[in-house]
Amino acid sequence: MREQLMEILKELRPDVDFKKEKALVTDGILDSFDIVSLVGELNAQFSIAIGVDELEPENFDTVDAIQALVSRLED
Amino acid sequence: MTLLSIDFVVLLTVTAAVYFIFPLRQRWTVLLVSSAVFYFYGGIGTGCFMIFTILCIHITAIRLDWINQGQKAYLENNPQLSRADKKAYRDTIQHKKRLILTLGLIVCLGFLVFLKYFNFLSGGAFSLLGLLGISGTAPQIDLALPLGISFYTLQAAGYMIDVYRGKSPAEKNLAKTALFVSFFPQIIQGPIGRYHHLAPQLYQGHRFDSVRCKHGLELALWGLIKKLTFAEYVGTAADTIFNSYADYEGFMILAGSAAYGLQVYADFSGGMDIIRGIAQIFGIDMAVNFERPYFARSIAEFWRRWHITLGAWMRDYVFYPLSLSQSFAKLGRHTRKIFGSYMGKMLPTFLASFISFMLVGIWHGSSWKYAAYGLWNSTIITSSILLEPVYRRIEERLHINTQCFSWKFFQIARTFFLVSIGRIFSRADSFLTALWMIRSMFATFNPWIFTDKSLLQLGLSIPEITLVLCMLIVIFTVSLMQEKGIHIIQALDRQNFLFRWLVIIGSILFLLIYGAYGASFQASDFVYQQF
Repeated sequence: MREQLMEILKELRPDVDFKKEKALVTDGILDSFDIVSLVGELNAQFSIAIGVDELEPENFDTVDAIQALVSRLED
Repeated sequence: MTLLSIDFVVLLTVTAAVYFIFPLRQRWTVLLVSSAVFYFYGGIGTGCFMIFTILCIHITAIRLDWINQGQKAYLENNPQLSRADKKAYRDTIQHKKRLILTLGLIVCLGFLVFLKYFNFLSGGAFSLLGLLGISGTAPQIDLALPLGISFYTLQAAGYMIDVYRGKSPAEKNLAKTALFVSFFPQIIQGPIGRYHHLAPQLYQGHRFDSVRCKHGLELALWGLIKKLTFAEYVGTAADTIFNSYADYEGFMILAGSAAYGLQVYADFSGGMDIIRGIAQIFGIDMAVNFERPYFARSIAEFWRRWHITLGAWMRDYVFYPLSLSQSFAKLGRHTRKIFGSYMGKMLPTFLASFISFMLVGIWHGSSWKYAAYGLWNSTIITSSILLEPVYRRIEERLHINTQCFSWKFFQIARTFFLVSIGRIFSRADSFLTALWMIRSMFATFNPWIFTDKSLLQLGLSIPEITLVLCMLIVIFTVSLMQEKGIHIIQALDRQNFLFRWLVIIGSILFLLIYGAYGASFQASDFVYQQF
């Protein structure tokens, strides 16, 4: 899942070093347009439904957090 | 009662004195009583209206929370339920919750819409009927808007939605809900607080802390200086141009718009500093509303730095729900079939952004000019995303270094220019006046106004212009230091005693000498207070 997630992120924002960044939303690296695009891709590729309630910075600040969110919703 | 009135200073002083005498756990009641005094001072009618609104919000939140708790308990007590049963149960509960939230929002937002937009909507409807050949006089209401309704309504709506989403618990104590909705320093012009951040701070008793109080007063002093020594004077120049717009053209219109932009920034951010400083005295850290917006390199970034709490409210309660809604997903699928994958993905997001910005625009007032203000901003943001690949190609072809200072400066200047055009919509008397001014701005090329003393004829004396320029340099320097991560007040604390107090006493004297106040000069209300 990690590789698939990294691919989505790289395609979304090739200019961002996702391995290094620890505050993607809090520091404004990903804006609201990026988040909506990312959610659309995650929903489509992992067959999940990320709800509005999940759109919190702590769920999107790091790759680990995004992966944890996807894993939780897959279950 | 305004933030700049003697009555407010008296209320604040008495509140602070009583707050720190009261038992720790009961201190929130002092804030509540002061908030009630502040609100009822504006009229018994608006006070009663506020009580009714608080009751509606409280009942809605309590009811939603009760359902949330029931749902949680039911699912915990019935682990044997199948996934399909759980889903069916959740759907039923969701439907019930949605109904309650809708009723709460209709009452809460309904008042705002009715009082603020009835005349506008009624006039618009009758104009349309007139086009169809049906004549008549549009009914109009003549009711004063309750103080701060545009701000506390959004704060309260956000609270109800958070309870609905299960993000915040409902406050069981009606008096505490009342304090959350009506906390007196912020009710007139925000910042629009979130329950999970603001409410615990309001309810918790805070001990007196001299350093915190000093920092709060220093912040409020800085806000007062921005409002009374800069916004008031630069506002005079903006008023001169906008009030006689037909006499000006070309760069003079741009100068007027830029002056208005600087006025609104100093006025609104100054007001926020005063409010945040006051709240800090009571140990309350209110949300930040500005982060040097004029350093933004794009309109999208500008809106992440300007009136942050309104932008965040629109993002969380309008933009995200719309973008991720089923109907927008359906629209995306249809669009993909016709226009391809990229537009299928982006169109729903653009539409959600357009709706959000239109709401931001008309939130400022019931006029077509505010709708145009929203449309202008959303158009710039949408087009910049659509044209981004073109910009990248141009940058590559021309070998532009996008990391150097000159390019960043160009982007900042470009954003300021685009923001200034948007400001014409929000400041001009009407939508048509704004269009006329923009046309006039582009129709004439008169750069000599910067050297032929035209800018000295805008209602300000030479000493006042000097004051404005000096303050512009001071505000710019402070903003630049903040942008570099320097916390000015803490940095001041680290200086020698003599220098520290020289700055503080010097600032007070500067305000007393140059501030626009007193019998001969009535400081105008805060710009955002009228919204």
